[in-house]
Amino acid sequence: MSETRNFDLFPPDGVIERGEGTVPEAWTPSQLNRAVRLLLESSFGSIWVTGEVTNFKRARSGHCYFTLRDDEAQVRCVMFRTDAATLPTDPDEGMTVRALGAVTLYEARGDCQLVVRALEGEGAEGLWRLAFEKLRARLQGEGLLALERKRAIPDFPACVGVVTSPTGAAIRDILSVIARRAPWVRVIVSATRVQGEGASLEVAEAIRSLGASGLVDVVIAARGGGSIEDLWAFNEEPVARAIVECPVPVISAVGHEVDVTIADLVADLRAPTPSVGAEAAVPDREAITAVLDGAAARLARGLRGSVRRRRASLEGQRGRLARALPSLITPRRDALRGLSERKLRAVQRTLDALRSRLQVAAGTMTALSPLATLHRGYAVPLAPSGRVLRRTGDFPEGLEFSLRVVDGHVDCRTSGAAPSDEARA
Amino acid sequence: MTDTPDRTDAVSQEDATLEGRLGRLEEIVRTLEIDEPDLERALALFEEGVGHVRHAEQLLAKAELRVEELLNEKELRPFEERDE
Repeated sequence: MSETRNFDLFPPDGVIERGEGTVPEAWTPSQLNRAVRLLLESSFGSIWVTGEVTNFKRARSGHCYFTLRDDEAQVRCVMFRTDAATLPTDPDEGMTVRALGAVTLYEARGDCQLVVRALEGEGAEGLWRLAFEKLRARLQGEGLLALERKRAIPDFPACVGVVTSPTGAAIRDILSVIARRAPWVRVIVSATRVQGEGASLEVAEAIRSLGASGLVDVVIAARGGGSIEDLWAFNEEPVARAIVECPVPVISAVGHEVDVTIADLVADLRAPTPSVGAEAAVPDREAITAVLDGAAARLARGLRGSVRRRRASLEGQRGRLARALPSLITPRRDALRGLSERKLRAVQRTLDALRSRLQVAAGTMTALSPLATLHRGYAVPLAPSGRVLRRTGDFPEGLEFSLRVVDGHVDCRTSGAAPSDEARA
Repeated sequence: MTDTPDRTDAVSQEDATLEGRLGRLEEIVRTLEIDEPDLERALALFEEGVGHVRHAEQLLAKAELRVEELLNEKELRPFEERDE
């Protein structure tokens, strides 16, 4: 601090005087600005300045430059990268803000400027509110907040994904609810930081990898309550996009009831607390028991119905068969009858044919009959046995035989027989 | 598992998730109530349904919560709560 003595701005009269032979001490701009800077910095400390923002610019370096003004004056402000990164959004032009910073001098230009550490919109959550509204308007413009987009949470998920901090009350509450209501459910935790810089990217990545794993049927994105800054990760675009793009439904369970986050707005279901989120994700054991009981009763009823229907159908068929029998039999009997008549006629025809053939045969037989020969005067000798006697050898002496003539027979006895000369030769 | 003939059926019944069972049960009950299947099919459906009810009840009775942690899209390990 020895320097400050040299920069006494109010030196005693006469020390710097012209024309007394002493060379007046002249300051260089650098010396002056340095002196002013140190003076400013040591006399103000940290102060709040309120005014309208104008010309807010975020440089590629991440530093932000802007001006605060009122009706009559303005002051240049700078917010360096690390502090600027905590801003939820850039303030709008003309927005009234409160800036906490240190007054200093930018020596190169000689400009008085405020090095801002924190910037707040009017009201406690002004800038946060502004960022929230900006993102909400953008997502709404894309139709991502539409109720039609909401997917139904599955009734009986086999596997539940949880995105939250591996420490703290949220994960404890969720696990204890699921263990009580649905202990058969598999739970997969994708652990992540849920607050602090970069937390929104981590939460988004955790949601994405659960979705990409293909293991889970529903995702709960959760954290306990806190200030708006604590919840901020769930108000940022990366989280909103990850929820929207998640292939399975997402339940947001962030903070306590009064806090609505962007995650709540894009999620398929909003739960006011992690516990309620877990309750929404899994069915209650009791509910499943009721479903099972109901199913068992309906199965039995269904089977009884099948038996009843089968019996009714059998009886119906029996009745139809009984009614159908006469109509089945009559035409066949008639057919049978027609068939017999036709057959009789055929037999008759056969008989007629036989008869006429018989007559022809009878005529032929008359022509061949030996009676005609007997008519002509021939006789036939017959042994008592009825055998025809043809040769002299058939007539031993004393044989009694009968001679058939045309009108009867004559009893004869052999007295002698001699073969003719031709027969002997 | 002494009844060998039903073995394949029994295995698939073992493997089904609760969600799968409840979904299949709903299907079976609806088929019985609406489609009016013939008696043989109704009996088979009834038996399958009763099997699902029994297995689901066993599952409810003996389930213990299993919690894993996803390390990346593929790797899992048992989850343990950490201190702050």
